[in-house]
Amino acid sequence: MDIREIFVELRTWTPYLAGGFLWNIIISFVSMTIGTLIGAVIAFMRASDEWIVRRPGNVLTEFSRGVPTFVFLFYLAYLLPSEVAVFGTVLPVPSWVKASLALSIAVVGFVSDNLSIVIRDWRAGRRESAVLFLPSWTTYFLIIVMSSSTASVIGVSEIVSRANTVIGAINKDHMMIWIYLYAMTWFFCFCYPLTLAMNYLKEQMKRRLWVAQTS
Amino acid sequence: MPETRSGLLRAFATGRSHDSAGGAVRAGPTGRCRRLLARLALLVPALLAAGAVPAAAQVDPIDNIQRRGTLVVGVKNDYPLFGSVNPAGQLVGLEPDLAADLARRLNVSLTLVGVTSANRFQRLQDGTIDVMIATLGDTEQRRKIVTIVEPNYYASGVNVMTPPSSRIREWSELRGQRVCATQGTYFNRLMAERYLLDLQNYNSNRDARLALKDGRCVAWLYDDTAIAGDLQDAEWAGWRMPLQSVLLTPWAVALHPDARGSRLERLVGDAVADWHRTGFLIDAERKWNIPPGVFLQRTRDLWSETDGTGQPLCRRQANGQWPEVCRNQALLASNDASGVLRIGLVIKERTGLDLSVLYDRYDRNVFLFAVLQSLALIAACLVGGFASGVVGAILLDRRIPVVTHLASAAIAVTRMTPPLLQIYVVFFGVGSFVIAHWGLSVDGAIVAAICLSFYAGAGNAVAINEASEFLRARIPDFRLSLATLPQALRLSQGSIVSTLVNIVKATGMASAIAVPELISASTYVMAERGNASVMMNVLMVVYLLLVLAVVRLLDRLQKWFASPEREVRPLAVPRRAT
Repeated sequence: MDIREIFVELRTWTPYLAGGFLWNIIISFVSMTIGTLIGAVIAFMRASDEWIVRRPGNVLTEFSRGVPTFVFLFYLAYLLPSEVAVFGTVLPVPSWVKASLALSIAVVGFVSDNLSIVIRDWRAGRRESAVLFLPSWTTYFLIIVMSSSTASVIGVSEIVSRANTVIGAINKDHMMIWIYLYAMTWFFCFCYPLTLAMNYLKEQMKRRLWVAQTS
Repeated sequence: MPETRSGLLRAFATGRSHDSAGGAVRAGPTGRCRRLLARLALLVPALLAAGAVPAAAQVDPIDNIQRRGTLVVGVKNDYPLFGSVNPAGQLVGLEPDLAADLARRLNVSLTLVGVTSANRFQRLQDGTIDVMIATLGDTEQRRKIVTIVEPNYYASGVNVMTPPSSRIREWSELRGQRVCATQGTYFNRLMAERYLLDLQNYNSNRDARLALKDGRCVAWLYDDTAIAGDLQDAEWAGWRMPLQSVLLTPWAVALHPDARGSRLERLVGDAVADWHRTGFLIDAERKWNIPPGVFLQRTRDLWSETDGTGQPLCRRQANGQWPEVCRNQALLASNDASGVLRIGLVIKERTGLDLSVLYDRYDRNVFLFAVLQSLALIAACLVGGFASGVVGAILLDRRIPVVTHLASAAIAVTRMTPPLLQIYVVFFGVGSFVIAHWGLSVDGAIVAAICLSFYAGAGNAVAINEASEFLRARIPDFRLSLATLPQALRLSQGSIVSTLVNIVKATGMASAIAVPELISASTYVMAERGNASVMMNVLMVVYLLLVLAVVRLLDRLQKWFASPEREVRPLAVPRRAT
């Protein structure tokens, strides 16, 4: 097969695929936002002195850890209505919103666990884990970006689903693997450098905090 | 109104007195009374039961046919392949062939009468035809107005027509895709809801197909038998009906309402059973170029099964009925059934919860097989994810010039790209290469198990490697090997366990390449039954139980592995989403 032909095809479809990847970022960001808000509430519940508040917080965290996100994606896709009436106006619930909600359940567990530690340390007068929360959160965001590819199975027009559309449109057997590999490259180029940067940032922060403590 | 009522009572009384006298069913002076009775009985189902009781005493329709020497069968005259008129004016198709076989069995000649959906009941009730074989869907409503002969002889379903260039092979590939449809069919809304299709409705079949030709949608959704007819046309050469038909509606041979319990009903029922067992129907389907559907194959398999004593599983019982597993399960009531089947039907009747995985033999088998498939995937991912993690960590630790760099790069790529895409690349990319060069087809379950194992393995390798770095900083000359592995595992067990639990949660991804695991089975069953909320909850509960069982198992393993003298410090590795 001809390398030039592959290159031309990939370049032709790049804007379309890039638009799909933007959806991956949007879905991930929305699910991080929802998951962080709910997770934060649960984390504060778990840090409470009252067992009647603490206990539901623990149960909810356990639950969000146990739910398989991929199954939950189907669950919401089929059981959530495709439109809801809010104060008399009918609002559509597009499938990307369902995907964001499904992914956010994993974020709830992560934020609840990590923020609980932050709150506990903060109350004990230690500030380090609060500083480290940001790089951890960003690393988790990248994990969610990769998971957002599963939204393709319920028909969200993100990069993987668009890759399938492109494969259908080009309709050449040998192009299939190149398009999938190209979609993979997008994820790798976005996630790998950022993960490395976050790990570096975390190490720097730890070192600085350690220096600050000992001096 | 009072006149009708007294007329009804009189007719009822007259009818009964003639029943005991043994009058002819359609011919003779009593025929009109009986017809009236039959019509009134149609309106009042309660009367129907009363009218059917004396049927045994009257002349059996089979005797009339034999006296006459001719069997009159109503078949469709407007349904290509199944029943239509050829240029010579003869009724031809699959259904006329079935009618001919019935006449042969009765040893009489055959007269075919063309009927349409609009007049077929009329023709049966007024005695123009003895038997109706006219693409009649078997429903509860129709069972009340005519005698439906079991077993069903065919089933139509919903399918799509796709252009020659289309790659669509599974219903799941149509999720979220734009699909053309014809307005006014009963299944459009059902299909949009159950398969998450983005339907575009057109006024006629013609418009919908033109839109498909213009590329405004990826497929046209319609009745499979009608699509099969269209595909015979030269205009659609190369076009396809690539999916397995769904929403199957079984078709039945029908007789006059009075023929319930008659010898004719029994003879026709035995004939249909025979058609399934001998493959007569499958041959007729092939003869008429109708794309083979799952119904005939599945029914043939069922009717060819034997019980422990070597007798056919589907044979008439003492009451003349077929066993419940051989009947149309959708129309069974709980008092027809026993065992798990009965529990499922009782739940359905009392609560409305349609647990077809309990009462329907086919759905139950699909689901049980899916549970086993998922368990096998889970076991493979647990073992594979752990083993490849250990191997990866050792490769990282050895610092062998090229090998370690390659391993390190492979691990980074595996961790930083979505596992779903990895599965696609291996299944479609590598898979099509393997098919093209060696003619081997790649099993989806194996591909999914390998990809998910490596994905988990990459995470585990990094965790174990971090632990061995930690040990190296404290123990001089520490090297990771099978002997020192337990030390590193003790430090990294927390993150290994969470990686393994996450990969178990992700095994559902195998459904994306049509592996018949739990998600595939659940979406299949609910699409057929329309019980989405029940099936989704069943799926969720089963999956949560599986995850819980794995968490317990890993917990046990950890306890067994932990030695009391060593403090275990979990390493902070971010939890992965699945």
